[in-house]
Amino acid sequence: MTDNISVAENGALLNDSWDGTFEAVLRPYLPYLSSDEPLTGDADLPHLGLDSVGTVELLAALESTYQVRFLDDALHRENFATPDILWRTLKAMANPNA
Amino acid sequence: MLVNPYARQLLATADEVLGYRLTDRYQQTEGDYSVYGQISFVVNCLALARWAEERLEIRPDLVAGPSFGGRAASVYAGVLDFADAVRMTARLAEVMDEYFAAEHPELVTQSMARLPEEKLRLLREELQERGEFHDLACVVDRDFFMLTVREGVLEELQQRIRSLGGMPLYTMKPPMHSHLFGPLRERVDAEIFSGLTWSDPLLPVVADQDGRTLTTGAEVRGMLLDGFVRTVRWPDVVAALTGAGVDTLHVAGQDGLFTRVAATTRAFRVRPVTPQSVMRPVRRRPAVLV
Repeated sequence: MTDNISVAENGALLNDSWDGTFEAVLRPYLPYLSSDEPLTGDADLPHLGLDSVGTVELLAALESTYQVRFLDDALHRENFATPDILWRTLKAMANPNA
Repeated sequence: MLVNPYARQLLATADEVLGYRLTDRYQQTEGDYSVYGQISFVVNCLALARWAEERLEIRPDLVAGPSFGGRAASVYAGVLDFADAVRMTARLAEVMDEYFAAEHPELVTQSMARLPEEKLRLLREELQERGEFHDLACVVDRDFFMLTVREGVLEELQQRIRSLGGMPLYTMKPPMHSHLFGPLRERVDAEIFSGLTWSDPLLPVVADQDGRTLTTGAEVRGMLLDGFVRTVRWPDVVAALTGAGVDTLHVAGQDGLFTRVAATTRAFRVRPVTPQSVMRPVRRRPAVLV
């Protein structure tokens, strides 16, 4: 789901596991996840309250934070299913040749 | 919501009108768009609005109810009696099921976000060039739309939306708000609306198609009927409310769309009225409102 993605110039992020910034950006869009509950990589984001408008807002927040632009197949909603999938999509955008 | 005294009153009336327990049927049926879901939505909106009036001392100046919200808004404004609104909602669900079982089985309505107007125009021009049907069902924000197309072009359309940087969201079937549905509008008027009493509103209603301020029962009836055949234009509602000096929007009832988008949140303080917010102890003070 990450082909044909326009990519940030910075390419600065992106380890294999997601960072604290990513989780900090993501959490406000998950109203059903309490602040003391851990966010796991396979968590079901829609189940935690990530709805359509939340997905669009989260996308804009990630683009702004990581200076990337989602395009084409990256814009499938399936890429917002879990933190791990979303992180992989983000990572692929920032490092298209990796 | 079942602890809410207004919800209990409304549910008792609804049960009497319907001849069954609405909450039982709602809990046993999947999907918020079932007839039980639609009536429950009206109950929920009204109960929260009335509860908020009492507990939060909210005294709105105007009321708006985009798309399905128009039914609850009509009751809240005093245009329709609640029992009539229950009968109307139940009959509308039946008539719409019958209509769409026979008509336009090929059409769906696709929502799309972060697609600026010029890109939507391009998308529609491309459909036009190919002789494909397209009709704008809803303008949610300046970059958030719903477009009715043939189901057969959906996959290609979604791919094109993504290639333009937009995000296709959900697809609705049956479709909504299209000029093609004139016969449905006529049938609803003749078979359902003509048997109801349409009083002039005690509170002006802002039409979701163009932001007009409606002050007669006939106009509100016309707005609900036009909901079948005209595009919903929420930015026009926002502009009308802003023009009327509104700075706070109290949202009575669940909404994951119109009151969440930037057009709304930039223009107003948006205050969702939830069971939690109305049950919280409050300090009494003069109301500032919609």
